[in-house]
Amino acid sequence: MPIEVRKLSHIYNEDTTLQMAALNEISTSIQDGEMLALIGETGSGKSTFVQHLNALLLPTSGELQIDDRIIRANEKATQLKSLRKKVGLVFQFPEYQLFEETILKDIAFGPKNFGVSEEEANQLAAKYIQVVGLDLSYLEKSPFECSGGEKRRIAIAGILAMDPDILVFDEPTAGLDPKGAKDMMELFRELNQKYHKTIILVSHDMEHVMNYCDRVIVLNKGKILKDCSVKEFFKESDLLYQLNIDPPSILKLKDALRAKGFQIDDDALTLESVAACIKKEVRS
Amino acid sequence: MAKIEVRDCVFSYDDKIDAVKGISFDVQEGSYTTIIGHNGSGKSTIAKLLIGLLEKKSGSIRIDGMELNEENLYDIRDKIGIVFQNPDNQFIGATVADDIAFGLENHQVDPSKMDEIIQEYAKRVSMSEFLAHEPTRLSGGQKQRVAIAGILAMQPEIIIFDEATSMLDPQGKKEINELIYELHEKNHLTILSITHDIEEAVKSDYVIVLDDGKVIMAGKPEDVLMHQKEMIDLKLDIPFALKAVNELKKQGIQIKDTITIEGLVEEICRLK
Amino acid sequence: MKNFTLGRYMPIDSFMHTLDPRAKIVSMFLLMIAIFIPAGFVGYITIGLVIVLAIYASKLSLRFMWNALKPIYFMLTFLLIINILVVKSGDPLFTVFGFTIYTNAIMHTLYIAIRLIYMILITTLLTATTKPMDMTTGLEDLMVPLKKLHVPAHEIAMIISIALRFIPTLIEETQRIIKAQSSRGVDLQEGKLMEKIMAVLSLIVPLFVSAYQRAEDLANAMEARGYIPDRKRTRYKQLHIHFRDVCVLLLCAIVIGISIGIAIWL
Repeated sequence: MPIEVRKLSHIYNEDTTLQMAALNEISTSIQDGEMLALIGETGSGKSTFVQHLNALLLPTSGELQIDDRIIRANEKATQLKSLRKKVGLVFQFPEYQLFEETILKDIAFGPKNFGVSEEEANQLAAKYIQVVGLDLSYLEKSPFECSGGEKRRIAIAGILAMDPDILVFDEPTAGLDPKGAKDMMELFRELNQKYHKTIILVSHDMEHVMNYCDRVIVLNKGKILKDCSVKEFFKESDLLYQLNIDPPSILKLKDALRAKGFQIDDDALTLESVAACIKKEVRS
Repeated sequence: MAKIEVRDCVFSYDDKIDAVKGISFDVQEGSYTTIIGHNGSGKSTIAKLLIGLLEKKSGSIRIDGMELNEENLYDIRDKIGIVFQNPDNQFIGATVADDIAFGLENHQVDPSKMDEIIQEYAKRVSMSEFLAHEPTRLSGGQKQRVAIAGILAMQPEIIIFDEATSMLDPQGKKEINELIYELHEKNHLTILSITHDIEEAVKSDYVIVLDDGKVIMAGKPEDVLMHQKEMIDLKLDIPFALKAVNELKKQGIQIKDTITIEGLVEEICRLK
Repeated sequence: MKNFTLGRYMPIDSFMHTLDPRAKIVSMFLLMIAIFIPAGFVGYITIGLVIVLAIYASKLSLRFMWNALKPIYFMLTFLLIINILVVKSGDPLFTVFGFTIYTNAIMHTLYIAIRLIYMILITTLLTATTKPMDMTTGLEDLMVPLKKLHVPAHEIAMIISIALRFIPTLIEETQRIIKAQSSRGVDLQEGKLMEKIMAVLSLIVPLFVSAYQRAEDLANAMEARGYIPDRKRTRYKQLHIHFRDVCVLLLCAIVIGISIGIAIWL
């Protein structure tokens, strides 16, 4: 289910003194099975953009197409529900959307809203609680007894149970400890590779972007500033500094070594490949 | 001299399971100490015990030589400031100036002297232009800076940062980390930072590693963080430089363990 | 929300905005009392003049004041119909379809309408020209004499100011939760009764959980910064009565005087 975005603009509080253009004629396309990172400073329009993908916000001008569904500006959008089923949007701190008595009911809530029978919804809950790495014994617990990290997994299971083709995560690792964050990223990789979901990740964490994503879109003041592969994006730290992004440690190491006269490949983005370059230099 | 002295401290939320199980550690005067440990290891509980928001079951806590108890709780809170995780939930005033004033009001400072103090500390955290701003118009990093100004205005000797940067964007993280470092270097404040950021621990003077309510390791970062097996067992991150060393060793290069990128580069240059 | 004007503060630079909140609150009470003194036409014209003057001095647009009155239009129309049906005294004015309308029906409605309109205009003037926080400070000061009666004036003011501080935060939070639940297929507009109940629950429970968390964090932050309930505090925000405040109070006192005078002697 590819996404096509054509000259999409969004203006908040149009025609008032608070008018603010959050997105300015954005055009891009996202293919099936991509694992895409959306980055940019606070206020760059990332959140506004992702909220268009499941029609929580509608374009002020321009249009976007998801599968064969076109959403245009100034057109009363109907049947948004079917779109919301296709594009699962996980907000920042999703643990705050839990509300049911039991985890089973909470995960089944989404599918039921989209017309799935109770029985089937319960089966989906049982399936997805395991996908997010928790066991079946959780289903009868109250979500409010769980730890912060577990709550977040449960909330994500609630979105996965809707079986969307596209998953959007807004800063999913914020506030987690390093182990929790890593497990979360591994889960997304699995969803992408094993379940063939398109993943759109809004993130500030460059280590995650570098290690898990294929493509990077940089938003700046409502415009696309850069749209390229992860490899190209992390080739040089200069670009990152220009964008006011703190480069991942590996780039800092490469820079420090180059300053000492070492030859390190631009493409070397893993410790393994950088170490191989060092080895070559040291042994020669 | 130990500014904070914790001995055999025990605490329980529900009287069944102890969240803090007999902890002892020191924080030296003027040091930058970090506490690391995964979520649920008891880090934040310790912060709340130190300022008396929670009451210990047994053991002792001495701040600046004074035993923390109900009588001198308020005197001790004068010496310690704490910055919490959520920037929104610790902004009390209607505006930046009101929020900095909050602590002063509690200490019955003469209102005619407040403006001068507020301006001084707003300037210290580079928030002078925002005195009349309401919190909704500030970024997370700015709100945390205001919280720090409010604490500095009370002239504390110790500041605790309880995951103060974990909800901030990279820009905010950078601002606050730089400010913490400055307060330590220039103002010689004793800093106790509870953090997930292993690279922050690398830069600190002293690291305390917690797990399951107990101190597992404590010492200088170059000693503690080198114990990578223990660190990994505790589900903690290890410093990037150490990961690089491991990879080099795997590829057959003999190199000394190190935790900083600078140290690593130096070692690599020595090989050439 | 955009057209909601009742109780909203308008940040303008005007004479009314510079007045001491205490003076404004007391003036409002004086005028409210004056409205209920039966001083007939002259009384209403006097109060009307003061209100017109205040609107002028507040630089608020007439459209804003008009919008503030919106909620009562329906009520007034309803009142007029009831009065026409019920009141059968005074001179018959005219007859429609065999139904006679009397002058008193019109006059009764007019009296009530004027009082209601005046009250809303006066309240709107107060809230639109006084920052909520200043209002709280003013109220706290005015409640000081009540402390003798063990009314916790300071605590009440603290509660109001914290509530005001967190209203925007909670509104933002609510919008976020609405969006998060909409993404899970919640439809707040349509659906059967049971679905609607679930939709509302899916908003209220998370909002409550988050508000509770905030309250706990805030209490910790306040305590950590040396707040002790019951203990004496100083206050950063100090109010000062100026000459202009005295003038305004005097003007309102004169209005009340005129009203009482008319009610007694005329």
